[in-house]
Amino acid sequence: MNVDIALFASLSGYHSPSVPGGRTRTYDLREGATIADVIEMLALPDQPRIVFVDGRHAPETMSLHEGERLAIFPPVAGG
Amino acid sequence: MSNMLRVNMSDLSITRESLPEKWARYGGRALTSAIVFDEVPPDADPLGPDNVLVFASGTFGGTTAPNGGRLSVGAKSPLTGGIKESNSGGQAAHALSRIGISAVVLTGAPDDPSALHLLTIEADGTAVLSRVDDWKGLGNYEVTDAIKAIRPTDDRYSTITNGPAGEAGMRAAGIAVSDMKGYPNRFAGRGGLGAVMGSKGLKAIVISDKGLGYREHADKDAFNAAMRRFSTALKEHPVSGQGLPTYGTNVLTNILSEAGGLPTRNFSTGSFEGAEATSGERQREITLERGGDVKHGCHTGCVIQCSRYWVDKDGHYKTKGPEYETVWSFGANCGVDDLDDIAELDRTCGDYGLDTIETGAAMAVFMDSGKLAFGDGKGALTALKSVFAGGEPGRVLGDGAEATGKAFGVTRIPVVKHQAMPAYDPRSVMGIGVTYATSTMGADHTAGYAVATNILKVGGDVDPLKPEGQVDLSRNLQIATAMLDSLGLCIFVAFPVLDIPDAFTAIHDMAQAHTGQKWDVGDLMQLGKETLTFERLFNERAGMGAADDRLPEFFRTDELPPHNVVFQVTDAEMDTLYDFVPETARTMGIA
Repeated sequence: MNVDIALFASLSGYHSPSVPGGRTRTYDLREGATIADVIEMLALPDQPRIVFVDGRHAPETMSLHEGERLAIFPPVAGG
Repeated sequence: MSNMLRVNMSDLSITRESLPEKWARYGGRALTSAIVFDEVPPDADPLGPDNVLVFASGTFGGTTAPNGGRLSVGAKSPLTGGIKESNSGGQAAHALSRIGISAVVLTGAPDDPSALHLLTIEADGTAVLSRVDDWKGLGNYEVTDAIKAIRPTDDRYSTITNGPAGEAGMRAAGIAVSDMKGYPNRFAGRGGLGAVMGSKGLKAIVISDKGLGYREHADKDAFNAAMRRFSTALKEHPVSGQGLPTYGTNVLTNILSEAGGLPTRNFSTGSFEGAEATSGERQREITLERGGDVKHGCHTGCVIQCSRYWVDKDGHYKTKGPEYETVWSFGANCGVDDLDDIAELDRTCGDYGLDTIETGAAMAVFMDSGKLAFGDGKGALTALKSVFAGGEPGRVLGDGAEATGKAFGVTRIPVVKHQAMPAYDPRSVMGIGVTYATSTMGADHTAGYAVATNILKVGGDVDPLKPEGQVDLSRNLQIATAMLDSLGLCIFVAFPVLDIPDAFTAIHDMAQAHTGQKWDVGDLMQLGKETLTFERLFNERAGMGAADDRLPEFFRTDELPPHNVVFQVTDAEMDTLYDFVPETARTMGIA
């Protein structure tokens, strides 16, 4: 299944070099893959994260589906 | 000994008096709000002689407390009609504290409206007023140049200046404070306090702290031990130790757009297609490519260092940041996706002395009238200059979003208590909607930054798209924020404080060791409650009621894409937010 994955701030450099694109890249994932599977696949650093699926916060145990957008941020704030 | 410097702009007298015992624990916002509560008739004309303008450093001003150099500026607001504390970085608070001044209180108004004065406070505590009539109309950058020309070359000083917008009494006028390099780029922006300064006939304040060191502590060893613990917490927390220093406040553009909470084209949708082009990540890349500075503090002792300087294509300083709220107000909210255009608008507002949140919101409202296309950054700059140059929209833009909306027949006006909302849509970030609605300040994100827990998942997790838990969240944050503002701490320390229990304990330990007074942890929160109680009671006596604690109706009726949600927190629940006020007022003896 195809899922768009966007990585932000200090995570920007963790995209797979084999998948072309910019901040948002389309990955072909196995059916039933979870957010945690993606985090492991991309070898994201072991730190807190803010995760959205289609603009809503999502737990890392959540399974992804065809056509969804997964966005992952490191801890950030401002104001 | 802490003193108040009273400057009477009617008879031009200056007196110095001890801080009254009843305010011994007050600094910063607690002190400005106590003074305004005590001395300003609630029905006073904000631009008349009965209003006061107070500049107060926090409890930790002039010390080595990390991020402890914030300045509170207080008065009755000409924008909201209620009490106002507008908070700024920069060097002024530290300088005042080192001289031994807790607050500068401007009273009265000049008989001669053409008179313009400079207040100079020397390091030995002497203070004089001098005429600077030929500075009339100068922008903030020109004023700081004029000040530099008259100060000794080996001086160390900070400035508080008022631009032409404040001189003209515009209700979106803010007050500029110099940063560590002397640029007048930190602002007490909100609530039109520049207009109050203008009404007093004061163009600028110079504060010299040449040769003065840090303030003494009641228990130096205990203070230093607590200070080190607090500093460690700020550096170890991923937000204050990594995210903010690396990307600055504008790191929020992408995440708010992703969450559908970035107000776009005058609050008509929650995601912006130009978010990436105006993001903190892109801002950092461009700034580094041009040789700009991407990490420094806005005042001495800041360990978070989220400030940065934007430089033009030739590498010349243009303005600070721009900060997230400004990138939003002139960016997504106006449909503009060019950071150079946004920086030019920021610089122009900075020189005029206009609050970028209010003015950007007013610009988006003007665009919503159809008079200027969303996305036209160059046109926005021309429109901004019309404030003084004439043409549309003209001066009304400098009076804010509500005035602009009324002038041009726009019904979607995002204000509470007449003050424009900042960079978070309350329909998809409902906690901040409660803060906007109920804050004593009018729509103000800093009053209770529920975005932290709603979106950023700092200090817990409250779903931004549901009404449950938002009132309790906002109440607790508003109390805690009033406390931090009173101590003179940057509100960004709240991120580690919310997650690291020892950071809060360290604040308590610093307060106790510095003042020599016995504090318990509950006293800190009581400080926040007392501050809010002054403010709430002042607003009630100025005529504000429950109807003023409401968002504009369209937030309950117009669904916001992409989540297609409306604001759902009930009025009845929001009306419980200040339930602590009557009891607190009784304990303070001001019921």
